[in-house]
Amino acid sequence: MQNQDGQPAEPETETISSLPTSEVNDWANYRDDEVMQQHSAIQAEEAGKIPFVGDKEPLSSLAEEYKSGNPILLEKIKVLTEQYAAIRRTRGDGNCFFRSFMFAYLEHILESQDRAEIDRITVNVEQCRKTLLSLGYAEFTFEDFFSLFLEQLESVLSGKEACISHEELVQRSRDQSVSDYVVMFFRFITSGEIRKRLEFYEPFIQGLSNTSVEQFCKSSVEPMGEESDHVHITALSDALGVPIRIVYLDRSHDDKGSVSVNHHDFTPAAHEVTDANTGGAVALEPFITLLYRPGHYDILYPK
Amino acid sequence: MAEDKYNLKNPAVKRILQEVKEMQSNPSDDFMSLPLEENIFEWQFAIRGPVDSEFEGGIYHGRIQLPAEYPLKPPSFMLLTPNGRFETQTKICLSISNHHPEHWQPSWSVRTALVAMIAFMPTSPNGALGSLDYTKEERRALAIKSRNAAPKFGSAERQSLINEIHEYMLSKALPVPEKKVVQTGNEENELEGQQIANQEDTETETQPAEDDEIVQEANGVPSNAHVAGEASNSVPANERQLLQKLETKVPKQADDRLLTWAALGLTIAIVVLLLKKFMKADGHGAVFLNQS
Repeated sequence: MQNQDGQPAEPETETISSLPTSEVNDWANYRDDEVMQQHSAIQAEEAGKIPFVGDKEPLSSLAEEYKSGNPILLEKIKVLTEQYAAIRRTRGDGNCFFRSFMFAYLEHILESQDRAEIDRITVNVEQCRKTLLSLGYAEFTFEDFFSLFLEQLESVLSGKEACISHEELVQRSRDQSVSDYVVMFFRFITSGEIRKRLEFYEPFIQGLSNTSVEQFCKSSVEPMGEESDHVHITALSDALGVPIRIVYLDRSHDDKGSVSVNHHDFTPAAHEVTDANTGGAVALEPFITLLYRPGHYDILYPK
Repeated sequence: MAEDKYNLKNPAVKRILQEVKEMQSNPSDDFMSLPLEENIFEWQFAIRGPVDSEFEGGIYHGRIQLPAEYPLKPPSFMLLTPNGRFETQTKICLSISNHHPEHWQPSWSVRTALVAMIAFMPTSPNGALGSLDYTKEERRALAIKSRNAAPKFGSAERQSLINEIHEYMLSKALPVPEKKVVQTGNEENELEGQQIANQEDTETETQPAEDDEIVQEANGVPSNAHVAGEASNSVPANERQLLQKLETKVPKQADDRLLTWAALGLTIAIVVLLLKKFMKADGHGAVFLNQS
């Protein structure tokens, strides 16, 4: 994410050359129908393979997947197995980061019954609502997504109404009318946060896609199915005040040939997670761990 | 309206009803759009041709279909009024208007899309599918024609909605400014051209239109003129000049009266001064002075 000092020009030229501009222009010649058909065809194909949120699988299934694959990956999976017990796959439809985050977060609340966490995040959600309004979003365009998310939050906590079961949570996460709405809610949150802190995100976005912040949000954050990058993760984590650990499973290795699995903790900006009572920073050990393989996120379960 | 007929738990229905409410509470002069009562996923709309283009004054009708997954999936648009820019009865390729369908976002709405469509009308079609590249004259002729009557389309219910929208748009949209380009071209003939234009304007309005439509026009012009006074940028040239003439006429009358009074006052003053002088010269004044 951070570039080395003193070479601001280089990544820029790099992104220019790597930008698939011709591809973008080609798209313009397709009719809406064709594009949509193509999209839904791809989606249908994906849907046949895996639900939005899969079942919990032992990590050995991951090793199985790479049985005859790259030895570095196999080595890394072995290292992962020492710390993690299971994986839950999500559909690779471009929404996998948000979908993984959704399930991991709601599952955490369901299991921990952490009322304080719900109260805390509700305050942040209200803040995000104000942010969107101040950015000029019409309330009717986002309110449904907000209320649906808050509904899900309430439903995983046993209180006034009977708390839903784990099975029910899985079912809801596979139900498009719930699942996609929560994903879209996170997209609104992310977009609002990026636009609000424009100066902070601008250099990262410039380095990533060489577009304006506005354009980035329009084409890479708010539309469904657009993949997430570290910019999205940083913004979502900051806006909601939820730390996220990403474990990277790729072919990288150091010069000595020894294999270690890297992870990065996205820790929300400190001022947003100070405890109201003590004034001190709240413990920020992430309770959400996602496994990143180039182009895709799944949920990881620590031992 | 349709609250009891539809499942309000359905997120698409909920959203669409919100948009209807919003459309009705914030009406625009540039467009109007409402769903059919029998099916809120089917909308009718009309947009006003953008100002300072060959579409100015035109009223273009069309229909919108909202998908079941709205607003997660984009709506589709189709024009019904011949306009010379988009084919009618054909889905408009919104991807050419920067509204890439794969980049559709739920924070957009029917309103956003209509605004984009208006802005997109004067742009070059660049050979995109579903686009037309008529000449400006042809488009202007279609703009004039578009005001005369709403297109005939669909069921009786839909037709009455189309007609209702047409009436609304007629009350908001200024007439087509004719010969505008010619006027700016040769300034010498400007006045003449304008007079002809105005004549033609009334002629074209009169010939094919029904009686009640003329009344509508007659009512429309003065009320528009008031608006024009406030936002003169959005007013076609001849309308603006007409307005200026009206404005200069009224102060002229006041000026005349003022001048008359001033002249009268001056005359009196001069007479008084002359009398004074005359009296002094005559010695009368001295007599008076001596006496006192």
